[in-house]
Amino acid sequence: MSRARPFSTALNIVAALALLACGHDRASQAIDSTHAGSSFKVALLTPGPISDQSWNAGAYQGLLRIRDSLGAQVSHIQTKTPADFEENFRQYGAQGYTLVIGHGSEFQDAAKRVAPEFPKTTYVTTSGATTGPNLAGLSFGFAEPSYFAGMLAASVSKTGKIGAIAGQEIPPVAESFRAYAQGARAVNPAIKIVTSYIGNWDDVSAGKEQALAQIAQGVDVIFQNADAAGLGVFQAAREHAGTYVIGSNSNQNGVAPDVTLGSVVIDLPLAFLTVAKEVKDGTFKPGLVVLGSGTRVVTLVLNPTLASKIPNTMRSRIDSLQAEMVAGKFQLPAASDSSAHAKS
Amino acid sequence: MSGGWSAFVEATVRTATPLGLAALGELVVERAGIINIGLEGVIIAGSFGALVGATHAGIAGGYAAATLCGVGVAFAFAIFAVWLRADQIITGTAVTLLGLGLAGTLYRAMYGASGAALTIPTSRALAIPILSRIPVVGAGLFDQPIVTYVFYLMTPCLWWWMYHTHAGLATRAVGESPSAAEAAGVRTNRVRLWSLLFGGAAGGLAGGTLVLAQAGTFAEGMSAGRGFIAIAIVVLGRWHPLGVGIAALVFGAASALQYVLQALGLNLPYQLFLAFPYLLTLVALAGVAGRVRAPAWLARVDEG
Repeated sequence: MSRARPFSTALNIVAALALLACGHDRASQAIDSTHAGSSFKVALLTPGPISDQSWNAGAYQGLLRIRDSLGAQVSHIQTKTPADFEENFRQYGAQGYTLVIGHGSEFQDAAKRVAPEFPKTTYVTTSGATTGPNLAGLSFGFAEPSYFAGMLAASVSKTGKIGAIAGQEIPPVAESFRAYAQGARAVNPAIKIVTSYIGNWDDVSAGKEQALAQIAQGVDVIFQNADAAGLGVFQAAREHAGTYVIGSNSNQNGVAPDVTLGSVVIDLPLAFLTVAKEVKDGTFKPGLVVLGSGTRVVTLVLNPTLASKIPNTMRSRIDSLQAEMVAGKFQLPAASDSSAHAKS
Repeated sequence: MSGGWSAFVEATVRTATPLGLAALGELVVERAGIINIGLEGVIIAGSFGALVGATHAGIAGGYAAATLCGVGVAFAFAIFAVWLRADQIITGTAVTLLGLGLAGTLYRAMYGASGAALTIPTSRALAIPILSRIPVVGAGLFDQPIVTYVFYLMTPCLWWWMYHTHAGLATRAVGESPSAAEAAGVRTNRVRLWSLLFGGAAGGLAGGTLVLAQAGTFAEGMSAGRGFIAIAIVVLGRWHPLGVGIAALVFGAASALQYVLQALGLNLPYQLFLAFPYLLTLVALAGVAGRVRAPAWLARVDEG
């Protein structure tokens, strides 16, 4: 029955090699040769594609800012699994990189394991809280601007029902959505808030479906934090007049200017540059770096195109509260369940 | 609550359309004795093709390019699987990784790292007179983009083709016993190739649907595992065109229910909702497992 073909084994090997090659290619490093030879080398690991117009795009811009402002030789890699995280951290350590940034709280465990092996490299995880002699966590004050986003959503909503959509319920998202709900209730105590999770950060169609389901339930303002999948939320709003979106992470006001009220923007380039400068000068003290209240790193940026949709009183209220926040004078009202918030 | 019902039916059909198209294509491939687990790569190639086609030649150009890209990726698979008789699982995995990697790389090369967000026009829904007025389900089923009607029509057409034409019989014969088919004068490799190319066209169209009828943009990895779900739907539909069409709708309904349940704001862990379509598929598979038989020559590389 089975006439084994002599060359089928060989072919399988070829196919397997092709597979390996492709797998490798998918996570291949993009080394920028602009400042090749510079002794200051900075690497960035992102959990998703840098074309997401959000979390990962901002980080990549930060990396380029480091290259241009500090003359660093930079490298970026997109990683998928925790095994990749560790392997790539190790690779960069072995290649003598000065600063390696893992862009997300999911990189913490891998960074903690690898950092002691390469004491000359500084490892930083964004949204991380793990620290060590050469390991720092960079955390953002996402809560306050999310609180303002909640106020904004509640003041624009005509149905009294607002939504929030994210990829997964990771700690920074949970904290942000809690503050969003709090801000909304501060404006309208009777407001209804529904939260949906897509399950991943890539599936644009599923992101759109989650938004459409919320819209069908009467939701008319959605705060989204789902990276690439969040593009589907904008699309859903574009197809339903009177529905608005608040973006996250990067300034997404230009993604869909006709439906985006504003964005909770993390100025990742500023944050990365601040850290990289200190690392380069040797003044960086590894630990928990909090860039929040008292800085301009995370802010709610309103979309000028839709300014007319936002009540004037609300706009000036948000402006003055935000000015207080930047001055370090704004304190979030204590939440009823403040367990997660207490950490930052 | 009738508005809610209609929204549920619409979401069901929207979710089922790309899955159903890809699964019907894969069905023909599997009935010819080949398993293309590179379907995920075919779909993402279709999505990327749709983006490129639509930016240059409108929505119709987008669908055409999506289909062509799907065919192209399937042809690459065919070279290894049909002529060179490489292991189909390994080749398919390579094709999936190649498709995902290539689409992402080309996307960044052509549109830059910042991407081309939400610039693609999407195809409008086309209401079918009379049918779309049926209470409760009419608007959901019959007020959809054209590609949905392609899915509706493809299901019975494939059934007729598979069981009432010589070509359909030949395809099934190749999947069951290639040596017998060969003896009867069927050119087995030609049948396998055409099946794969059809599967590629359908998978590419599925990828195009994601971009042109749903997202209005391209994102790396936006196929999000639909190729593998479509392969499961083929099994769930018991390798029968009508079964596959229904299975796609059942999976779509389970997903739509998940969306609605989350939007209702029930206070349950969201992971439960997300797992629901997959749990349902598992239960349904377990239920039919005893009575269902795959094509005898599926994924075998040796000639009988």
